[in-house]
Amino acid sequence: MIHHVVHVTEYLYSERVSTSHHDLHLLPRATPEQRCLGEELEIAPAPATRRDRTDDFGNRCTYVEIHEPHNNLRVTSRADVEVAPPAPLPATSAPWESVRDVVRSGDGAEARAARAFAFSSPYVPASTWAAAREYALPSFAAGRPVVEAARALTTRLHADFAYDSRATTLATPVDEVLRLRRGVCQDFAHVQIACLRALGVPARYVSGYLVTQPPPGKPRLVGADASHAWLAVFVPDHGWLPLDPTNDVVPGEQHLTVAWGRDYSDVTPVRGVIMGGGRHDLWVSVDVLPSPRH
Amino acid sequence: MPGTTLRAPALPDATSTASSTASSTASSALPASPPTPSLRAYAARATPFDELADEHGAVRAPWHAFAARFDALGPGELARRWTEARHLIHDNGVSFNVYGDAKGMERPWPLGPMPVIVGPDEFATVSKGLAQRARLYDALLADIYGPQRLLEENILPAELVLGHPGFLRPCRGVKPSGGRFLHLYAADLVRQSSGAWNVLVDRTQAPSGAGYALENRIIVSRLLPDEFRECHVERLAPYFQQVRRALAALAPHAKDNPRVVLLSPGPYNATYFEQSFLAQYLGYMLVEGADLTVRDGCVYLKTLGGLHRVDVILRRLNDDYCDPLELRADSALGVPGLLQAVRDGNVAVANSLGSGVVQTAALMPFLPGACRALLDEELALPAVETWWCGEPSVLAHVLATLSDMVIKPAFPTGRTEPVFCDELDAAALAELRAKVQALPSAYVAQRRATLSTTPTWDEGRLQPRRLLLRSFLVADPADGAGYRVMPGGLGVVAARDQRHDISIQRGAASLDTWVVADGPVSTLSLLRPAGAPVELSRGGGDLPSRVADNLYWLGRYAERADAMARLARTAVARLPDGAEPANSLVAALRAQARIAAPAEEEGAARDRFGEIGALIFDGETQGTLADTLRSVYRVARAIRDRLSSDTWRVITALDQEMRDAETWSGAVSTTGAVSALLDRTVALLAGLSGLVMDSMSRGHGWRFLDMGRRLERAVSLTLTIAATLTSAQPSETLVLESLLEAADSAITYRRRYLASLHAAAVLDLLLTDPTNPRSVVFQLGALLEHVVKLPHLPGRARDGIESAIAQGADTLLSRLEEVSVQRLAEVDADARRPALVAMMTELERELPALSDALTESYLNHATQARQLARLQRREEAR
Repeated sequence: MIHHVVHVTEYLYSERVSTSHHDLHLLPRATPEQRCLGEELEIAPAPATRRDRTDDFGNRCTYVEIHEPHNNLRVTSRADVEVAPPAPLPATSAPWESVRDVVRSGDGAEARAARAFAFSSPYVPASTWAAAREYALPSFAAGRPVVEAARALTTRLHADFAYDSRATTLATPVDEVLRLRRGVCQDFAHVQIACLRALGVPARYVSGYLVTQPPPGKPRLVGADASHAWLAVFVPDHGWLPLDPTNDVVPGEQHLTVAWGRDYSDVTPVRGVIMGGGRHDLWVSVDVLPSPRH
Repeated sequence: MPGTTLRAPALPDATSTASSTASSTASSALPASPPTPSLRAYAARATPFDELADEHGAVRAPWHAFAARFDALGPGELARRWTEARHLIHDNGVSFNVYGDAKGMERPWPLGPMPVIVGPDEFATVSKGLAQRARLYDALLADIYGPQRLLEENILPAELVLGHPGFLRPCRGVKPSGGRFLHLYAADLVRQSSGAWNVLVDRTQAPSGAGYALENRIIVSRLLPDEFRECHVERLAPYFQQVRRALAALAPHAKDNPRVVLLSPGPYNATYFEQSFLAQYLGYMLVEGADLTVRDGCVYLKTLGGLHRVDVILRRLNDDYCDPLELRADSALGVPGLLQAVRDGNVAVANSLGSGVVQTAALMPFLPGACRALLDEELALPAVETWWCGEPSVLAHVLATLSDMVIKPAFPTGRTEPVFCDELDAAALAELRAKVQALPSAYVAQRRATLSTTPTWDEGRLQPRRLLLRSFLVADPADGAGYRVMPGGLGVVAARDQRHDISIQRGAASLDTWVVADGPVSTLSLLRPAGAPVELSRGGGDLPSRVADNLYWLGRYAERADAMARLARTAVARLPDGAEPANSLVAALRAQARIAAPAEEEGAARDRFGEIGALIFDGETQGTLADTLRSVYRVARAIRDRLSSDTWRVITALDQEMRDAETWSGAVSTTGAVSALLDRTVALLAGLSGLVMDSMSRGHGWRFLDMGRRLERAVSLTLTIAATLTSAQPSETLVLESLLEAADSAITYRRRYLASLHAAAVLDLLLTDPTNPRSVVFQLGALLEHVVKLPHLPGRARDGIESAIAQGADTLLSRLEEVSVQRLAEVDADARRPALVAMMTELERELPALSDALTESYLNHATQARQLARLQRREEAR
């Protein structure tokens, strides 16, 4: 399936910004299930300098300098992304303890590469793992296959946690979310990542978009789609299995991947440091449409 | 002697307050008749593993020459010289900052007079080992930020790198200019009972202490000049020359004259003194993050005259703080875009961004393997026995012998203190055990070691103290991947009573370290001759705006303090005259302090002396003389690298006067004592202004300082006249007299008008006389001269801002030139002077406006870089 994504981020400043520097993670990366057929990044005011690169995780990122005084910044990314139907879940998988052990011993290139997502990270610090481990253990009975255990944990999380956009902020630590049992997709992804890492199973954060279906009989609303976050768990001899605890699904053609990292801090869509600006408001809109070109 | 382990000096890291040290005050009393200190006698009764004494109680060979000369010093001679040396430390302002101590956190640098002496053979052996460690860390960084071969081959545990917050992922794959990652390296060495030196701490982030080592050398070589000369002590200057060469060689695009800056975290950092001292010594500009900006992937210094390209950054800022865009978002100290500039190859940063990842004791057990894998060599200089608890087999061993261990964090963040398990009671030990068991990979254990002692001189007696030696290395571009070791270093000895920790933050003292040669040594020096004037500006517009701002405020605060001290002095002297002029003078003093008068109680007797005292000494209230002098000190400290040592001495003395007075408020309870203190303050401020006139080059820096001074003097005069003369007093003669005295114009007046006092004549002299350097007109004229010579602001219309400021000054000037002082002095039926009131009101409004225009156009640093909210909440449609 091919999707056309339009993602607009706009910052409105109460005072003039004289200079700003930005680091963007907005252009969708290639994955085994996904190809980017075309993309563009439009920035207003026009940047004085722009550099595109690939980060250490293989994500596409863009460095931008704006030296023109401005009162608002508008970043628009457009992309045509082709997503393949998901591979069926592996019928069998290794016991979760053996995943932990193979990663710990660094046995095999695949396991060694997965270690990048096995340890403490800014939004999922090791200090929160004890609580996460306690929450996760009921799903991780001894010898349970890792895919089954991780999928069961996703279901439990979905059942136990309420979606509440006012309960948490970016600064709410994972153990606090665990206590509150509420939050948004970022929080749920971070919580499940903490659970898996606490047990020694590598997990990574995925940032992207979710295609939404309008209610029956209603037209699709512009800007109704959303940027979204989920996670992927390392399954030896299979690869990375995506899991969406917000919706209790295994992501497929409705999930478009932009970037992945250890947590949100590695893949923040728009970072910036501004000179001046006063207070600022942020406005975001995402639309995922059937691609006009295909 | 009990087994002892030392804490690293941890100059910038330790938390607690320093206890007082032997050298903390210059004035502490000496014993009445000090015994003759004898190193031979010390050797005879020395404890095992002493640096000076061998196991037979004889002086070791490298110390021979020194011991013979030292023992020949007469009784009391060392004491006398040491007193002088401590004055020197105080006067030069050699200091460090103590964290967690809000009030007066700057402390004098603790130094002991006895050097530690290292022989040539031993130095050569240790140097080889240190240079190998530096090469190893450089290769490790290249691997960690490159192919990660050691992780692929499981030679390093992955968690130590991938789980380390100091592993800066955005830096992976970035090739540093010149190819090297580690340019400066330091190691804290201890000598264990085996006689071998071992490394206790490796420093790869932004090593501090080399400047203090140099400062120690300057003081001790003056203290013991003959001993220093005769002992063939290796000089330190060639090392610093090497630092300059190494950093210049880093400049991208092989520039002839690269601009190197020292990036400092600012005046509140523990080692800020050292940073400003080193910047001055090495000839680099001392900058803070806000002084730099990244444009088109290049780093520029923001100056009055525009942007100047920066080629090399010697950073004393931890790497994660260096770029708030890609690294720590909460850093207010860094330069947004710096990492991209490095990535683009347009600037070199020493040490490279990310070098902090290997600064952890957790790596120590894996260094021998890493050394074989990366250098194909055996590790020559091992660390003290160290275990990383993240390995299950190791954890059991550590827990079994926990009470012999020193526990450190594996991933040090911020200021973390090692825990000495033998100091813990059973409950605390159990608590620590539980913490380690819960998250073993976060902890490192080091075996407590028995360390060597060295003689220190403490109140007339020679005492053995546990020794730690910090060595410094710098890259040697002429020697491939090699490094050079400073022939010397920073000796640090435990505070008295054999404490376990050796931390300057916790009361340890430092020693000069002498590496002695067999023959004569090269005697190069990079130091300016003492007392030489310091160039404040290089003539052009390369003065950072932040520095210009601080100079401007230094001028303003110094002048304000001067006006207040003079007014207070006059007021105190006039107290016996009764209600007037004292009331007018107190009102004028309040006006200077910007403090409103308290509501007067009808009929209550006023304690004028008490009021004046509060306006002078109350350091807690904003605007008082004590507070203003503190502001002088604060702004001066922020530009300390640009002030001559003489200037700094005056500023320190000013600060000290007021501190002493605050502490001993009982001692300044008489008018005589207060007058004496104010006399000294006025004299010191005059000294400051004299030094500025005499020793600052007439660049933009001087111009901003003088503009601050002129503007403040005009404001002060205005406020004083408004407070004293706008209403005619019955006993005005006394008011006029004291006003002239406070404005330092009494002699001029007397010469012109003999003894008769008239308000119009006084107003002429203080307001409109262009020849009196203390008149308002004179200040405005001087300001105008400065303004027309200011650099043109880049990106603005020529003659725009500059002429607006000039016009403002010019308008005021013509108003004063045209006004008739006779009219100003006229008194109406209510004994008011309406014309004077109008004039003063205008000046009180326009002068601050002039200052605002100046600071907004030239000095405005208020636009702090800020992080954009990263509020990308997913408003999930479900």
